[in-house]
Amino acid sequence: MIDYLVMGAGLSGLMSAYAAVQSGHRVKVIAKGLGALHWGAGSIDVLGYLPQARDAVVRRPLERLADLPANHPYTILGPAAVQDGLDKFMRLTEELGLPYYGAEAAGENLLLPSPAGALRPAFLAPAAQSAGTASDDAPMLIVGFERLRDFYPELIAENLTRQGIAARAVKLPYELLSDRRDANTVQLAQELDDENRTERLAEFLREAVRPGERIGLPALLGLARHAQVVTRLALAAGAPVFEIPTLPPSVPGIRLFNTLRAGLEARGVRVEAGMEVIEMNAEEGVIRWVASETSARPLRHSAERFVLATGGILGGGFMSDHTGRIWETVFDLPLTTPQSRSQWFRPAFLAPDGHPVFQGGVRVNAAFQPVDAQGAPCFANLHVVGGALAGCDPLAERSLEGLAIATGMNLLKE
Amino acid sequence: MKRINTEILVIGGGATGTGIAWDAALRGFAVALVERRDLTHGTTGRYHGLLHSGGRYVVKDPQSAVECIQENRTLRHTHAHCIEETGGLFVVTPEDEGDFPDLFVQGCAETGVPCNEISVAAALRREPLLNPRISRVFEVPDGSADSFLATHATAQAARQAGARILTYHAVTGLLVTGGDGDKRVVGARVMDAVSGEEIHIHAAMVINATGAWAGRITGMVGIPISVIPGKGTMVAMNHRLVNTVINRCKMPADGDIIVPVHTVAVIGTTDERVADPENLRIEPWEVQLMLDEGEKLVPGISRARVVRAWAGVRPLYQEDYTGDSRDATRKFALLDHQRGHGVAGLITITGGKWTTFRLMAEKTVDLAVDYLGERQPCRTASTQVPGAEQGHYWLGHRLHEIEEEHLQGELICECELVTRTMIENAAKRNPTVTLDDIRRDVRLGMGPCQGGFCTYRAVGILHELARQAEGAGPTEEETKEGTERDAAWEVAYLQSPRHNLSADERPARDEAGLQPNLLLRDFLQERWKGVTPILWGRQLKQERLDELIYLNLMNADHLPQTGEKSPLTDFYLYDATPNEQTEAPA
Repeated sequence: MIDYLVMGAGLSGLMSAYAAVQSGHRVKVIAKGLGALHWGAGSIDVLGYLPQARDAVVRRPLERLADLPANHPYTILGPAAVQDGLDKFMRLTEELGLPYYGAEAAGENLLLPSPAGALRPAFLAPAAQSAGTASDDAPMLIVGFERLRDFYPELIAENLTRQGIAARAVKLPYELLSDRRDANTVQLAQELDDENRTERLAEFLREAVRPGERIGLPALLGLARHAQVVTRLALAAGAPVFEIPTLPPSVPGIRLFNTLRAGLEARGVRVEAGMEVIEMNAEEGVIRWVASETSARPLRHSAERFVLATGGILGGGFMSDHTGRIWETVFDLPLTTPQSRSQWFRPAFLAPDGHPVFQGGVRVNAAFQPVDAQGAPCFANLHVVGGALAGCDPLAERSLEGLAIATGMNLLKE
Repeated sequence: MKRINTEILVIGGGATGTGIAWDAALRGFAVALVERRDLTHGTTGRYHGLLHSGGRYVVKDPQSAVECIQENRTLRHTHAHCIEETGGLFVVTPEDEGDFPDLFVQGCAETGVPCNEISVAAALRREPLLNPRISRVFEVPDGSADSFLATHATAQAARQAGARILTYHAVTGLLVTGGDGDKRVVGARVMDAVSGEEIHIHAAMVINATGAWAGRITGMVGIPISVIPGKGTMVAMNHRLVNTVINRCKMPADGDIIVPVHTVAVIGTTDERVADPENLRIEPWEVQLMLDEGEKLVPGISRARVVRAWAGVRPLYQEDYTGDSRDATRKFALLDHQRGHGVAGLITITGGKWTTFRLMAEKTVDLAVDYLGERQPCRTASTQVPGAEQGHYWLGHRLHEIEEEHLQGELICECELVTRTMIENAAKRNPTVTLDDIRRDVRLGMGPCQGGFCTYRAVGILHELARQAEGAGPTEEETKEGTERDAAWEVAYLQSPRHNLSADERPARDEAGLQPNLLLRDFLQERWKGVTPILWGRQLKQERLDELIYLNLMNADHLPQTGEKSPLTDFYLYDATPNEQTEAPA
């Protein structure tokens, strides 16, 4: 019998599994897919914009948690626990060889170039991304590649320039990256793991860069040998090198996922994908087992405690239909989301206050147990973490990864 | 202020307007056409894509049926590459009782619409998802049509015959001489929506082909005409659930037709009388009705994924008519304002349907000839538009060309198989103000992700073109040659990857003013407008991924902006979110 069954292999699921196994519990992770890390930027966004003031970027996120509503997961946790979770994440990723860094001025958000050339507020970023911070005034050379459809250096450079950041763009031949006709960023990153390719690219970078510049490249600088690739490129080009994320699939996100998964497996935790939970069984308010779909017959998973880390609408934890019904897919937990489509959306896609349908979720108590309308726990042995939580819109406020880490790492906090 | 002199000025760049420009230019008239937005931005680009066999009208409106089957045959020749030979079925479902099927058969015989009854088993072999409880099936020569491509091809044919096509040119007033009793329209005041420049276009005859907006033009000279704007809502399913046009064999009503067009299947339509042809809100009950009715033809269709909903507005003209728009005639109306209202120099053509656009154009120019004098006879019925030699459209044509030419690495829009050079060439060959213009050219962003991936990529590509274009403004000589250059535009192969292997040799020039951040925001909003009525289930999840891309990854809501606006920014911002306050009419 295992102690914790975690459902979901996104960042919140992996963090929950880590928290539980570090406390000496037996843990298993089952998931339908592989989580949202594969889509995102690979950075850790804690809080970029406050719901009521989406125009102004949050400079010091942990100092602004008090401005969040009472039902926000950060408010329920408290700032100390959020900070503690992030510290643990930094120690863990450093130990696993994929270190994450914050701004030089401790506690501040990094402002990093987005693939459109806007400045993204991120609290922590992998070493290769944090070197692109706007607080450094070294001019940028944004390097793209002919035919690479997921990265446009001129667009980035122009928008950075409009924001007062010195930047120019060059495009290098696509053949430096690959001999294939068609490759996505993950395949290109794997190709750069090859030392000969790294050397050849470095020669071109050395030619292109001017003294004092730092070089921004699409985030495909190696997958398994990422750190060596970045070091080698910087050394050979004679300039600092940083990564700018690309359209999905996200190489930095996949690096983090692979690193965390390997770290968990080294601690004896199995992470199994392709297991969508389709059935559950509870007696007297205690969950006994859940069953996942397999090719033959439903497979039952029993555990002492269960962690729901299936995410919200994005992760697949919630489903909805044309009548306006929206529900949590495993336990049918009560959601705060309006059950009427007329209340789901605002007229503008980029509405400053976000869309109500994405703000609802599972209401929880201080122990992150889901509760009903009266505030009583729905099940004695169920916890909810990450994107499924009510009281926040993790995309609009740029808190997706921060919420996952803070709620996951604090799974066992009393 | 610029001045242009021409013989015929056509207002409206839909199917009818471009058809008139083509017809008149072929007969030897000097022609200019103005359209306030992009070609097909009005009703033409918002219909379900059915090439009528006429079957739909054989009982209710036999004259329309006769016109449809005649034009159906004509367009298969003149616009071959814009048409897919899907064929059509009229099916009798358990709900369709009574003698309609017999009246239908009789009506087909009387109007000359070929109709062949086939067994239910044969129909199910052809369309396995069809409701197995249907009792009778009739085969007719329906087809599906690409109204964007067809209009571009017609416009190009018109250019080649000497016509001038001015998009993003809005009529702000008519030029009039004389007073009460002997008024004559002698042209129009036109505003270039991009540059803001005013142009006076003088013409011996002004033809108002603005469809549902026709009253706005005639109102400028005090002529009230009654065009009933009949809003039709359609939903596009994520899959091509049928490969044949499926019609209910009954009196035309809401949601009784499914048309396979390109990669999707469209369920249409509602018919609601609306006050304003411009801002069309899609109500939840309309989407629900389409799905419920679609269910009777293809059981389970309401559980399939919906990618988009949109509404077009039919221009239904009936003198002194005040009833339901569904019952208004589909026949077209040609109004001679000299005879009717004592205002010379102005003709209005409205009503009708896409399938009969060429015939409408022919009759309109015939009337203009009464005043302008005989030239060459009409030749549009036998003249192919550029690109028609490619033969009929078939679903696999893009994939086939991509595979043959190994273009997988060039795909910018994976959903609709659009390559980089297709986008670049479309931008160079057709005036481009928004990414939506590119969408109409090459189907950018029309697939399941609704622009999630390709919006950013297309913005990046157009920005590179704009950079190339900077400082390369037109020389004086080139301005003079403008009309000849227009004629050389090769838009016939816009949609063919194989014909766009290399970038157009014309230098980027007109793209100089494109602002990437504006293109991005406009197109995201344009796509949003059409998905909000159908966002639930997996399409809602897809939309959340698009949010992840444009909020978290791009931070698109914080891109530098200085209040820039395109001519369509406000149009896209119109509130189209579902509103539960309205109910279906009893």
